[in-house]
Amino acid sequence: MIARPRLVSLVGAAGFACGLVLATLLASADFEREQGLWIGLTLVIGWGWVGAGTFAALRRPDNRVGTLMVATGFAFYVMVGERTDVAALFTAGIALESLFAATAVHLLLAFPSGRLRGGLDRALVAAAYVAVTIGGLVPTMFIDPAAVGCHDCPANLLLIEHDLSFAERWFDGLAVVGIAILLATLVLIARRWLRASPPLRRAVTLVFVAGGALMMLLAALLGASLADTSHTVIDVGWYSALVPFGLLPYLFIGSLIRAKMLRGGAVGSLVATIGDTPGPGDLRDALATALGDPSLELAYWLPSSEQYVDAQGRKVVPRARSGRAVHRVELDGVQVAAIVHDATLLDDPELVEAAGGAAALALERERLEAELRAKVEELSASRARMIRFGMAERRRIERDLHDGAQQRLVSLALDLRLARETVRTDPDRADELLGAAADELTEALEELRELARGIHPALLSDRGLAPAIEALARRAPLPVEVDSRLNGGIPEAAELAGYFVVSEALTNVFKYARASRATVTIEERPGEEAARGSLLVAVTDDGVGGASVDGGTGLRGLADRIASLGGRFEVDSPAGRGTTVRARIPLD
Amino acid sequence: MARPKRVLIVDDHPGFRASVRRLLEGQGFEIVGEAADGAQALRCAAEVEVDLILLDIHLPDLDGRDVAGRLGATPDAPAIVLISSRDIDDLDDSVERAGARGFISKAELSGDALAALLR
Repeated sequence: MIARPRLVSLVGAAGFACGLVLATLLASADFEREQGLWIGLTLVIGWGWVGAGTFAALRRPDNRVGTLMVATGFAFYVMVGERTDVAALFTAGIALESLFAATAVHLLLAFPSGRLRGGLDRALVAAAYVAVTIGGLVPTMFIDPAAVGCHDCPANLLLIEHDLSFAERWFDGLAVVGIAILLATLVLIARRWLRASPPLRRAVTLVFVAGGALMMLLAALLGASLADTSHTVIDVGWYSALVPFGLLPYLFIGSLIRAKMLRGGAVGSLVATIGDTPGPGDLRDALATALGDPSLELAYWLPSSEQYVDAQGRKVVPRARSGRAVHRVELDGVQVAAIVHDATLLDDPELVEAAGGAAALALERERLEAELRAKVEELSASRARMIRFGMAERRRIERDLHDGAQQRLVSLALDLRLARETVRTDPDRADELLGAAADELTEALEELRELARGIHPALLSDRGLAPAIEALARRAPLPVEVDSRLNGGIPEAAELAGYFVVSEALTNVFKYARASRATVTIEERPGEEAARGSLLVAVTDDGVGGASVDGGTGLRGLADRIASLGGRFEVDSPAGRGTTVRARIPLD
Repeated sequence: MARPKRVLIVDDHPGFRASVRRLLEGQGFEIVGEAADGAQALRCAAEVEVDLILLDIHLPDLDGRDVAGRLGATPDAPAIVLISSRDIDDLDDSVERAGARGFISKAELSGDALAALLR
C-alpha cells in the first residue's frame, strides 16, 4: 500500500502529465477551430485545479477539499477530451461533458470543512452526479456527430442510433434539472455565507462569490439552450463561465491558507493575552475575541461535585442547543472545561480545537479558581448554617432542661417540703410523698442522662463507636440491626459525626418513618494509595420514605456537620419505599 | 376560723400543678382550679371566684406578665403571685411592674411564703 502523501503526489503528477498529453492531442485535432485557446485553457485551468488540489491535499490531509479539487481538474480534462480526435476521449467528453459542474457543486457545498453537512446537501450532490453521468450518457447514444455536420469528428463509440429529436428533448429535460440544482446550490452557499462567523466569512467570501457566479452563469447557459438562443451568445456565456471556474482553484487555496493563517493569528494572539487574564471572565473574553464569537460561554468542570460551574462558582449545565455547540477541553486526558460557542464555528472545528488547546492550561487555572470559589461559597453557607444550628441546639438544650429536669426538681422540692411538714402528723402520707419524690428524682436523672448523651455520648469516648451505636439500638423502640465492620483507631471527630448520623437518623425513623425495623451499617473503608480512608455510615428503614435534607427533620444539620468534615451526605427516600441515610466521613 | 383562701394554679406542667395542690391543700388553702395556659387562666378566673392566682411567667400561649396585667385590671381583682422555675435575678423588672402582688421562685413556694406576700 502506498502512503497517502506519496499517493497524492503521484496523482498530482499524473494530473500534470494528463494536461500535457491533452494539449498535444488538441494540437493534432484538426476539426477543432480554437486549438490554441483550448491548449492554453487546458494548461491554465486543468493544471490550476490539479496543482492547487494536490497542494491542499498535502497540506490538509484531513480535509477533502484538496481531493475534490484534483477530481474537478480531471473532470475538466474529460470535458476537453471532446475536442481531441481520439474516439474514446471524444466519446467520453460528450457523455461526461458536465462532470466538472457536479464536482464544483460538491466542492462549494463541502467548503471549507470538506464535509457535506446535511441531508439536503447530500441529496443535491447525489442529484448532480446522477444528472451529469446517466443524464449525459443516455443522449450520447443517440447522436451521430457526422449527422449533425461534424464530418472530421472521431466516431461516437456509444452510438446506437441517431435520433436527434430524442436527444434534444432529453437535453431540455436535463437542463431544467441542472438549473434547479445550480440555483439550489447558489441559495445554500449564499445562506451559509450569511450565517458564517465574521472571521470565517472574510476567509470564504471570494470563493463563494466566484462559485456563485459560476452557478449563475451555468444556469443562465442552460436557460439559453432551452430557449434556442444563438450559438454566439452561448459561446460567450460559456467562455465567461470559464473565468470564475478557472479562478476558483486559486481562490480555494487562498482561502484555505487564509483560514489557516487566521487560526494561527487567532491562537497566537490568544496565547499572548492568556498571561494577562487575572480576573474571572477575562479568559472568556480572550477566547471570545480569538474565535470571533462574542456570545461564547465557559463552564468549568468540578470533579469533586461532578458538575459544571461558571467563573463565579455558580452551577451551570453546558448544553448544545439551537445554534449553540459545546466543545469539551481536556488536559492530559482529564476534563477541564466546556466552551459553549456559536454553531457556525463548527465550519472550522480545528479553530475551536486549537484555541481550546492553547487555553487549556489557563482554563485549568480558572477551573481551580472556580472550584475554590464554589468551595468558599459552600463553606460560608455551611458555616452560617452551623452557627444557626449551634444556636438552635443551645436553645433546645435550655428548653429541654427547663421543661424536663428542672420542672421535676421543682416538684421534688415542693414534695419534700410537704413530706417534712407531714412526717409527724401523718407519717403514712409522708412515706407516700417520699416514694413519689424518689420516682421523680429517678425520672429527672434519666432525663439529664439523655440530655448529656445528646451533647456528647459518654459511651462513645469510653468504648468507641460500635458499642455506642449498639447502645442506641438497644434503647430503640423497634428492632434495629447493627452491622459494624470497624478496625478501631477512628479519629474522634469522625466517630462523633458517625454517631450523630445514626442517632439523628434513628430518631427520624422512630418519629416519622412508621417503620417496622431498621438496619445500621458502619464500615471503615481504607484509603487507596494516596487517598485517605473513610468511615461509611448507613441507616436504612422499611418505612414510608419521603424524607429529605430540606424537610426540617434535623437532616440539614447532619449534612452540614458532614460537609464541615469534607465528607458526603445523601438521603435516598422514595415515597413508600423506605429511607436510606448515607454518610461518607473522611478519616484524616 | 377564717374561710380558706381560694387558689387558681396556672402552669403548663401537670406534675408541678399536682405538687403545688398537695402542698397548699396540706397548708389550708382551697384549690378551686388549674389552668395549663393563659387563655384557660383568663376563662377560669372569670368563672370561678378566686382569692389568689399562682401564675407561671412562661406559659405556652401568653406571657404570664401580660395575663397578670389583664386579670389585675378587673374590679375586685384577686391577688396574683407570679411564679417561675427561674430565679428572680434571671428576670427583669417587668415582673415588678406586672400588677402582681409579688414573685416566688417555684422551688421556694410554700404556704408561709404566700402568706408573707399576702399580708
